[in-house]
Amino acid sequence: MKTLVLGMGNSILSDDGVGIHVAHKVAHQLNNPQVTVSETNTTGLGLLDSIVGYDKVIIIDAIQTEKGEAGQVYRMSTEDFSLTKHLSSPHQINLATALELGKMLNLAMPKEITVFAVEAKDIVSFSEKCTPEVDKAIPEAVRMVLEGLVG
Amino acid sequence: MKRITIDPITRLEGHGKITIFLKDDGSVANVYFQVPELRGFEKFSEGRPAEDMPQITQRICGVCPEAHHMAATKALDDLFHVEPTSTARKLRELLYSAFYVTDHTTHFYILGAPDFVMGPDAHPAERNILGVIGKVGLELGGAVINTRKQNHWIIQTVGGRPIHPCFGLPGGVSRAINEEERAKIEEIAKQSVEFGKVSLKVFDDVVLKNKAYLDMVLSDTFTQKSYNMGLVDRNNKVNFYDGKVRVVGPDGKELCKYAPHEYLEHIAERVEPWTYLKFPYLKKVGWKGFVDGKDSGVYRATPLSRLNAADGMATPLAQEAYEKMYSTLGGKPANYTLATHWARLVELLYAAERLLELSRDPEITSPNIRNIPTAKPDEGVGIVEAPRGTLTHHYITDEKGVIKKCNLIVGTTNNYAPLFMSIKKAAEDLIKPGVEITEGLLNRIEMAWRPYDPCLSCATHALPGQLPLEVTIFDAQGNEVKKLSQGI
Repeated sequence: MKTLVLGMGNSILSDDGVGIHVAHKVAHQLNNPQVTVSETNTTGLGLLDSIVGYDKVIIIDAIQTEKGEAGQVYRMSTEDFSLTKHLSSPHQINLATALELGKMLNLAMPKEITVFAVEAKDIVSFSEKCTPEVDKAIPEAVRMVLEGLVG
Repeated sequence: MKRITIDPITRLEGHGKITIFLKDDGSVANVYFQVPELRGFEKFSEGRPAEDMPQITQRICGVCPEAHHMAATKALDDLFHVEPTSTARKLRELLYSAFYVTDHTTHFYILGAPDFVMGPDAHPAERNILGVIGKVGLELGGAVINTRKQNHWIIQTVGGRPIHPCFGLPGGVSRAINEEERAKIEEIAKQSVEFGKVSLKVFDDVVLKNKAYLDMVLSDTFTQKSYNMGLVDRNNKVNFYDGKVRVVGPDGKELCKYAPHEYLEHIAERVEPWTYLKFPYLKKVGWKGFVDGKDSGVYRATPLSRLNAADGMATPLAQEAYEKMYSTLGGKPANYTLATHWARLVELLYAAERLLELSRDPEITSPNIRNIPTAKPDEGVGIVEAPRGTLTHHYITDEKGVIKKCNLIVGTTNNYAPLFMSIKKAAEDLIKPGVEITEGLLNRIEMAWRPYDPCLSCATHALPGQLPLEVTIFDAQGNEVKKLSQGI
């Protein structure tokens, strides 16, 4: 099963880079030729390009929710995004729409997509480091991704 | 009317806000506009080697890393007082042209097309790329994906790495291309030119042949008579990579044309008490408030402004499209904000043609890709046209090339004032006493800002991957009348 672990984010924008930090650590702990670990800072159509051709995709990214606490790690599947599928965007299309588009155009879409998201505190200040709360969450996120690869 | 004070220090939690206040009679009293701004870049860059800036600054933006990479590279040329080799210049412009093809394609089909192909009153569930492809056909949908994919291959091959090129150096670039790569680039360029033509045809069939849309494009609600800024080459033709910055007034007269290192003589920033955004304006004309006209220093830097600021396009098919556009719009300059989508397609075709030209240049596979700098670095400015507007990088370093100060004016920053004005005008014209505030109406207000494709919080977004935006309307008593939000 061809698997992609994709860290999404901006590595110079504090907590926005957490997905990339997690992906790096996952790569260090993996020795599986079937698994590719990669990073991207683009979403929408760019994301679609990245995931086409894989059977299973794990995405890791930062998130900000209404009631979440910085450092919480969530595991989500694409059903969790279906509500946002059709909203128009000022900039790019969201994950759910990108997936729908891939299906529409008969691209080789992954059968399984899991998203691990870390609740971020600061995504507007330039820094190569995460905030302490988010930094503490990285080992847990790494563990969840590695488990997700097996399960 | 009830006075409602907005605390300008209020943090926006990462989303953009348009707030509209109504008078007692239901007409618009005032409009405010706030966007999230990324903080602390100047401090972040202090103490870093300037040669790292093409790598660092391209990470600011998940949408146009290539633009920052290129502006930073040119700032390095200036900083180290070195000219790139002829082949390096051409390779840079080749990569940049491929980038423009991908970026303009993405913007038009995701942002511009939905409103026109599906219509501004269409349900949000349909008013997106899925609806567009449903209407124009799967083949064109496939061509959108394919054009982007192929041109990203060019960027990756020429630039040395996917997504983040490791390419620009002071005096040149890091790698040359071989004949096999060149031949494939030429093939992709040919297909991209065809795709550019097809996209213009879509616009023609869907927008221009529809009187209601054309009326909307030409309407006063979406008209703004501001100055126009864009880079031009020696012949005053549009060039994305290099040249001088030219500013042309709403009356069509050239105000100024300056070299990058002169930018501070021409641009100043206005501070307003109700927002932490700073609004650039033309020094020579002066700040007269959020008004248009040739006596106001407000200017626009968008695809339409670039075409307005130039005397034409440097490639034949794009020139033809340019002439057709202006003849339909009634001459130059065109002050119709919605025509920005059309200008973007003219630019898409130009970028593809330019890519083809450069891929056939006899020097393009030469190994002579670098002039090693010998002078001491001190200060450098690099300007390119980012898809969203003129992008300026300015570095001051010590004699070892370590950054002491840096200033960036990104594409959208140029447009803060006109963006705000476009939204305000649309709100004032469309929200009238007795008129029901529908989704379609609010969408039309958003249509006033989509042509700018604003680069706000311009980095990768948190899931679900879009900029959250909120439009809230308050009545004269301060009660919330309506709220439209996306991605929140």
